[in-house]
Amino acid sequence: MSQDAAGRLGRRLQRILLLLPYAIRHPGVTVDELSLKFGVDKLELMDDLNLVFMCGLPGYGPGDLIDVSIEEDKVYVRMADYFSAPLRLSPAEALALYAGGAATADLPEMKEADSLRRALVKLGRALGIAGNGDGTSGINVRLEDRPDAHLRTMQRALREAKQVQLEYWSASRGALTKRAVDPWGLVAALGRWYLIGFDHSSDEERMFRLDRIKEASVTDMAAPVPDDFDPDRYKGAFSDRDATPNLSFEISPDVSRWFEDYYPVARSTILDDEWRKVELVSSGERWAATLVLRLGEGVRDVQPKSVVKEAARLASAIAARHAN
Amino acid sequence: MRRIERLINLIAALLETSRPLTADQIRDEIAGYGEQPNFEAFRRAFERDKEALRAMGIPLEVVETDALGGEPEGYIIPKSKYYLPELDLEPDELAALRLAAEAIAGGSEQAEAGVMKLSVDDGGAPWGGARVTWSADVAAEQPLLGPLYSALIDRAPVAFSYRAATGEEKKRELEPYGLVHRKGNWYLVGRDRDRDAIRAFKVSRISGRIEKLEGGYEIPPGFDAKEHLSGEAWEIGPGEKETAVIRFDEPLRWWVEQNMTQLQRREAHDGGLEVDVPFTNTDALISWTLGFGEEIEIVAPAEARAALRDHLAQRQGTVS
Repeated sequence: MSQDAAGRLGRRLQRILLLLPYAIRHPGVTVDELSLKFGVDKLELMDDLNLVFMCGLPGYGPGDLIDVSIEEDKVYVRMADYFSAPLRLSPAEALALYAGGAATADLPEMKEADSLRRALVKLGRALGIAGNGDGTSGINVRLEDRPDAHLRTMQRALREAKQVQLEYWSASRGALTKRAVDPWGLVAALGRWYLIGFDHSSDEERMFRLDRIKEASVTDMAAPVPDDFDPDRYKGAFSDRDATPNLSFEISPDVSRWFEDYYPVARSTILDDEWRKVELVSSGERWAATLVLRLGEGVRDVQPKSVVKEAARLASAIAARHAN
Repeated sequence: MRRIERLINLIAALLETSRPLTADQIRDEIAGYGEQPNFEAFRRAFERDKEALRAMGIPLEVVETDALGGEPEGYIIPKSKYYLPELDLEPDELAALRLAAEAIAGGSEQAEAGVMKLSVDDGGAPWGGARVTWSADVAAEQPLLGPLYSALIDRAPVAFSYRAATGEEKKRELEPYGLVHRKGNWYLVGRDRDRDAIRAFKVSRISGRIEKLEGGYEIPPGFDAKEHLSGEAWEIGPGEKETAVIRFDEPLRWWVEQNMTQLQRREAHDGGLEVDVPFTNTDALISWTLGFGEEIEIVAPAEARAALRDHLAQRQGTVS
């Protein structure tokens, strides 16, 4: 069986193992309600129920089979007490849920934080993770490097759907810039918070690193979030999977060992002398130049050449400051 | 009979039985297994089914049976391990968990599947669909996290192959004490048995599979895994801890004020700031300062200044 087919089978079985306890605990639930809850269409759901109807305990006589009846669109499952509670959480589910909850509970302006902390204590106790009461836990998650001064302001702007004025450090220009931004969402990734929104200065959708914001203020201008905005869409944005690489260079074997852990490499090829050619999406010429300087002897054949020029200019300026 | 029906029958039978069932009993009694032409074919089908159930987290156990003359091994799914324990979550607690599952990226599929199980008594509106304007990547989709987590919960020592930052790959034996997420990466913290010391391992550098070892261990009371992670990159590495004096020019002043609040600092000329930055690794310190470009200066120590000059000179050498 292919990986895909195995995955489909597993997902369907998981669904059925939850569908049964749900239907047993809510006798008379309608097919429509079930299909909404489980996110499958009615046909698929009927298929699941018809399948279960054929299963049961050894003997497989009328008294052994799971009894599924649908009366006027209402579903009743009987004779399956052994399926009246869901399967415990898998390790991956438990970890993801606990980690996600722990990360979320620490956010400022989270009105659900108290409820969430209580839920985590119960979850932690049931799963055997934590909750010694001394603040230690087997699982520890912190989203950001250090508390972010502007996170609160941004959350307020989002809640009130108001435009923000930013004084923002542009890495590509190496200068502070003023922006008017309609905030759409906040994303935490790789230890940093990013604001996603519509930047009126460039007339484009943009991402802003919160730690590069010098000043932020919420204005009175209404800035509704577009209906189709989905922060999940930005999940891959930090690895630039869809963008075309516009910076390439070759890195030494020493640098290769850690480089891809820290930088979003779009393509990478090993060369005859063990060096590696990497291609990535640049955050601007100045950023690329500082990266080249940081890599020192461990980088060669940088393209485009304008980056080499900027790196050389920066290098002499920095060297001059450290002349003696 | 379709395989999925056979699997449901297998789960039902092994969950409901009071005594472990032998392979022979499973073949004879559970619908779907009698169809195989011979014992070999049955054996293969049963092996695949066991694997599928375990992959889903179903606790299928093998136990010794005392059946005389028959097969020594029997199979059972203990009810106490199969069922989700009662958590007694209040509606607001469940709603908050749901919100968290909705908001995270990287592992959201697993988190949402988990929260659905917890919602089995909630007959209200459809689950999910809460509108969240933020999302946090907890990178919980890494496949090794599940096994590591389960070892941690079971207090099972583990062995794995680990690729150090130097590229060297070595087998490690560890008693897992905790899992810590920092900056998009997960770290496994525990007692390294060979070194008899607490060590942190980056989960993404563990290669292959996690082997659970026999035996157990205790986590020292009050142990806090997060204290055993190294701090900033320039604090990591060999060497004595020193203090560098870094001057930030006025245009970067705000950044220091916002992001380096814990460090000692003084006013410098022209509106800049001088900050005392602890470091052990000169190369990492240099790399970090270079990221700021020309508006920053290593004032002291003189060795670090010289090292920066050398670094730049070598760089210029490779360009020409």
